[in-house]
Amino acid sequence: MTKPILITGSGVVSAIGCGKAQTLDALLNNRTGVGPLVYLKTEHKEFPVGEVKMSDDEMRKLMNISDNAIATRTALMGMIALDEALKEAKITAEMIPNIGFISGTTVGGMDMSEQFYLDYVNNENHKEYIAVHDCGSCSEMTAEHFGKFAFVTTLSTACSSAANAIILGANMIRNGEADIVVVGGSECITKFHLNGFNSLMILDTQWCRPFDATRAGLNLGEGAAYLVLESEESAKKRGVKAQAILSGYGNACDAFHQTASSPDGEGAFRAMKEALKLADIQPDRIDYINAHGTGTPNNDLSESYAVKRLFGENVPPMSSTKQFTGHTTSASGSIEAVFCILALQNGFLPVNLNWSQPMDDGIVPVHQSVKKELKHVLCNAFGFGGNDSSLLISNTSTSSVTDLHVSEFPEPVEGPLYVLSAKQISVQQPLSEDWMSQPIVYQESFNRSIDPSYKDYISPIEARRMGKILKRAIATSKEAIKASGLETVDAIITGTGYGCIENTEFFLNALSKDGEQMLSPTYFMQSTHNTISSLVAIQTKNHGYNVTYAHKSISFDSALQDAVLQMRLGKINSALVGGHDEMTPTFYNILKKGGMMGHDDEMCGEAAVSVVLGTKSDDYLCKLVNFKMLHKPTMDKLKTVATEFKADFIMTGISGNNKSDEAYLAETKELFGNAKLLKYKHLFGESFTASGLGFYVAAQCLKSGKIPAHLFANPNDITDDKPSNILIFNHSDSNNYSLTLLEA
Amino acid sequence: MDELIYTLKQQIIEALNLEDMKPEDIDENASLFGEGLGLDSIDALELIVMMEKNYGIKLKDPTQGKEIFKSVAVMADFIAKNRTK
Repeated sequence: MTKPILITGSGVVSAIGCGKAQTLDALLNNRTGVGPLVYLKTEHKEFPVGEVKMSDDEMRKLMNISDNAIATRTALMGMIALDEALKEAKITAEMIPNIGFISGTTVGGMDMSEQFYLDYVNNENHKEYIAVHDCGSCSEMTAEHFGKFAFVTTLSTACSSAANAIILGANMIRNGEADIVVVGGSECITKFHLNGFNSLMILDTQWCRPFDATRAGLNLGEGAAYLVLESEESAKKRGVKAQAILSGYGNACDAFHQTASSPDGEGAFRAMKEALKLADIQPDRIDYINAHGTGTPNNDLSESYAVKRLFGENVPPMSSTKQFTGHTTSASGSIEAVFCILALQNGFLPVNLNWSQPMDDGIVPVHQSVKKELKHVLCNAFGFGGNDSSLLISNTSTSSVTDLHVSEFPEPVEGPLYVLSAKQISVQQPLSEDWMSQPIVYQESFNRSIDPSYKDYISPIEARRMGKILKRAIATSKEAIKASGLETVDAIITGTGYGCIENTEFFLNALSKDGEQMLSPTYFMQSTHNTISSLVAIQTKNHGYNVTYAHKSISFDSALQDAVLQMRLGKINSALVGGHDEMTPTFYNILKKGGMMGHDDEMCGEAAVSVVLGTKSDDYLCKLVNFKMLHKPTMDKLKTVATEFKADFIMTGISGNNKSDEAYLAETKELFGNAKLLKYKHLFGESFTASGLGFYVAAQCLKSGKIPAHLFANPNDITDDKPSNILIFNHSDSNNYSLTLLEA
Repeated sequence: MDELIYTLKQQIIEALNLEDMKPEDIDENASLFGEGLGLDSIDALELIVMMEKNYGIKLKDPTQGKEIFKSVAVMADFIAKNRTK
């Protein structure tokens, strides 16, 4: 028995307009927004782009942002789209604290970082922008403009980010964890990725021509779109009507190459097939496909092949809308989902503009305006690394008729989940539990991880291009899967606060010092956050669900939440959950300057943790019995939640940052009374995914039946007693909280 | 030509981060991609950047690389004929 997911509001901004009215008008009248570059400051004027036709200042004015407030372009566009979506769904300020916000982005605050990078390195100028470099800050900046959402997190799977945000939101509603979740994505064009795509030689100097024999690459675009997803009961109670139904969705990994799609379109095929299966709809019921259709020779051929595999000779009308907007990268999944909603509501097929010659073995796209009543449409979004997703959106008549069974969706799985294995590479002995009896004690305030030999995990020809974070992720993942006793896992879910910062630094450095020519494609390709998860999939040949979260200090926790959610829904039986962050000396100094690292006695480290979770096992480290994430909760709300997380021991994240530790300890005492407090950051260091190490440490303590004395925050608490449970209480600056209850 | 071939091998090793290799290990007539050194499309892009940096040769279309990067000898021949620096 599964409930349909209603879309009760949506908002969009892109090159073809601000808001749905302008967008619809452009789509109906075949008016493109792609043209010469106006707003981005770059020397690459030769590339046409789909810019939102507003400067940052004009957007600030539109959204009433005060002159001294910091706002990145991605966040500003996000606010514009979110504003329209919330208004459409009649969501008031009072409702926000009970609503979730999930956003997709990859560039985050890169528009500022690429302007001020040399300042960050060399002087004190513009240091207030350092804290908004990352993806999570961008989502929070967008969200904060409207109030305090119940939870906020960020998906970063390159060009499928927004589609995956939609999938997470839908799963949360299906599992009854929320009545309303606002989902989507935002991404502005930056010099960083314009040059990155140029280094990959996939930008066209002419207007892009998806599915045309003469196609020669993509045009970059920008924009944002959000959908309000809501349960049927909630919409009924509030008296709001659905615009469309999200009746299916699929996510799969191509597991082929970091920047190219496989010739047989395996990931795309699986994603579309899963979307149909979830909605229990046969392929012949699909009336239209909004293709990913970037216009690169590789994508369009691979996507055509995947579609033909699924639909055979009867491929439904299909078009790419990237000629209207340019490729809006991380936002494309939600922007094009809004186009699909408009097509369903207004009964038309968006035209694949600028098409004239069929490609060999390609699909023939919709190339003339067609009015047609549509019932079910597919919307594809594929990302680098083969993070492929597909959404099935249906018109509202399907909610009242019985043809939408959603029969494949099982009943929620109750009971505990099992932690089958946990492996780490950090500043302690790598891939070992030596820290229990022989911890390494550091005096320096910044230490890098101890790397094992990677020869057993990665061939030299593959390893030569990988940054440290990638090697560590692959080694811990392979060890964790081996130790889990499973042959393979159903899903690979990764969290990373800052992603592949080493290669990001190389690319930023070259861009800032040498200019916009002759940049290394390797640095760019390795700089995206989802490189980690997708490389693990390529290395372990895993086509299952694959996503990456990039949300500050709850990145690992967000990954864990997704794994727990999908196991509860019965969608997967096992998952590899990773928490990976690396730190370079340059970025450590930048973050210290930005007030984000290096406080008082705090030690900064690096983290690589891979955990395998399963729904069944008789050989495990510990059980996971409860999990919850909260964003800016009131003390009353925290107290209510805390009653479900009673534990004898609490793994705290105190790090040697005096001010925040004091608040942390006071809050922990108020919430959990006399439970004994533990710490781990004095051994493993602070990092954005340190909470993954906290999880690892707690799991190993429960397995060994002993908590080493050096983990106790208060010497008076030290005990040899066998722990029966540990609560990992992760909390950063009273912003984002996560509670994970583990039992022996 | 021999000198150019030797220099080119050094530049390939550096550009592609082939840490464990020496110029002597590369057979200038062997195929660089596929079965030879086992390089891929990203390596081809790195070689395009390398040729522009060191020899002032700018390729507009990545598929041109297929012919030029057949072997170090073919690459050296192309560079000798087209270099602007």
